[in-house]
Amino acid sequence: MNIPLEYILVLSSSLFVIGAAGVILKKNIIVVLMSIEIMLNAANINLVAFSTYYGDTTGQVFALFSIGVAAAEVAVALAILLNLNKQKKTVDIDEINLLRW
Amino acid sequence: MDYSAIYPELILALFAIAIPAIGMVVKNSKYLAAISLTGIGLSMLAVFLFFYNGTGPIEFDTGLLVLDNFSALFMMIFLCVAFVVVLASGKFIENEKHVPEYYCLVLLATVGMLLVASAQDLFVLYLGIEITSMSSYALVAFRKKDLRGSEAATKYFIFGGFSSAFTLFGISLIYGLTGVTSFTEVGAAVAGLTDMKEMLWVALVMVIVGFGFKVAMVPFHSWAPDVYDGAPTTITAMLAAGSKKMGLVAMFKFFLIALLAIKADWEIVVAVLAILTMTVGNLAALNQTSIKRMLAYSSIAQAGYILIAIAVGTEFALTGGIFHIMTHAFMKGGAFIIVATLATVAIGDRIVEYKGLAKRSAILAFAMTIMLFSLAGIPPLAGFDSKVVLFSSAIYGATDGSEWMIWLAIAGIINSAISLYYYARVVKYMYVDELEEGEKSEKLKLPTSMLAAIIICVVAVIGIGVWPEPFIEFCKDAAAAFF
Repeated sequence: MNIPLEYILVLSSSLFVIGAAGVILKKNIIVVLMSIEIMLNAANINLVAFSTYYGDTTGQVFALFSIGVAAAEVAVALAILLNLNKQKKTVDIDEINLLRW
Repeated sequence: MDYSAIYPELILALFAIAIPAIGMVVKNSKYLAAISLTGIGLSMLAVFLFFYNGTGPIEFDTGLLVLDNFSALFMMIFLCVAFVVVLASGKFIENEKHVPEYYCLVLLATVGMLLVASAQDLFVLYLGIEITSMSSYALVAFRKKDLRGSEAATKYFIFGGFSSAFTLFGISLIYGLTGVTSFTEVGAAVAGLTDMKEMLWVALVMVIVGFGFKVAMVPFHSWAPDVYDGAPTTITAMLAAGSKKMGLVAMFKFFLIALLAIKADWEIVVAVLAILTMTVGNLAALNQTSIKRMLAYSSIAQAGYILIAIAVGTEFALTGGIFHIMTHAFMKGGAFIIVATLATVAIGDRIVEYKGLAKRSAILAFAMTIMLFSLAGIPPLAGFDSKVVLFSSAIYGATDGSEWMIWLAIAGIINSAISLYYYARVVKYMYVDELEEGEKSEKLKLPTSMLAAIIICVVAVIGIGVWPEPFIEFCKDAAAAFF
């Protein structure tokens, strides 16, 4: 049984919008980071869906690369966040206010 | 598979992997810098041999990576930036911890830039951008005890991750629409697209937002001054001169190859964004008190000038864009390295601290003046030549139906005039203002390696300025190879 392409696109677009809303609205940096991951995964769903639709493996292979990139990004981001948290006991985005114009 | 197309990347990656291992034995920052410089030098040699042999484009694999005049020129620019940055870092990070990791990450960031320069495929382009971005997130947070650096890095990865998600989603939509991934094939497929135009526009907006964050295009620029301000100054030089230019190269490839067929749909948007970017950047720079923030806003404005090349989209305009990227890499990199050098002798980044600098160190004051006047576009310096080529391309591009392009040139010229105010203000502090009683006035002792880096930039800026023809020829060849 094949799932129609539109259904998958609706899923991925909704995920992307949920992620983007999370990045803009949430105050906790860890939640923001998770939202960014949701956005990246929405794009991965797209890649796999289109790849199946065209019967061509490029998209799926790239989705694997993209998952690897996202994992590396989380690793770097968490390291930076841990370092920030050591100096300033907070993960609230509003308290990152040293650099202002 | 022709590996000679990726020798520059391979050499750099090899050195980047080797340096942490060498760092187990060699602890001295200067020796590690020398090893990194060897790697960058060898990589430059590989690019130089390509120019020297003149064999024409070398494809690594059909439609994946190519070494042609365009990518080789950009590789040279990125490698020069990396060279100058590493040369200055040897002294700058002498007393820090984790020195080997620093050089490893700088080299990896450069590898990413080189990959973007030679990418022929949407996916390779994305991977290149991510390699550079991730290395620079870590580099911005390099000083672990520095709260400003940590905050800057936090902002950087939030904005960077957000923008890469947009880019990736846009790329996935384009892949979905066309079923192919290499730029030329996408270009052909987009030209033949009859229905589903709406989806292409969604993809276009996503890509503009994603790259807009990367090149700090207004209205997505708010992160840039904060990050440039908080990062170690040598890294700021690399971000402004290297990684921002990488974003512009990616935009060239995206807009002028893959999406060229629908240029009528996006040219006005890009033109308006270009004018907004230069105006907002220059106006915000006017009343900055920190020199790093001032230079950060000025580099936003300069990105606005380069965007003119995309909006006009002719071969001549691309020549101007490439030429301005080249000159801007030297002048902005040089300016930030002067700021870094002064930081090693305890002159901070507030502009007032530059008071009377001409008396304390004539050479640095002179070098800074050259950089700032070149950024403002005063002849006979490099910034003037590249602005002339860039703005005149907008005037030549303005033919029937595209008269609006003339406004790009007008906006650019007005903005250059505005920018002269804040550049000249720094020069006035350095040369005109007298030191008062009790202020430090002894001569400065400057580290030789950093001076060498500055002199390279000064020579490049004056050399390109006085003798621009061969460089314009290189840019012309690159632009011809691009289309």
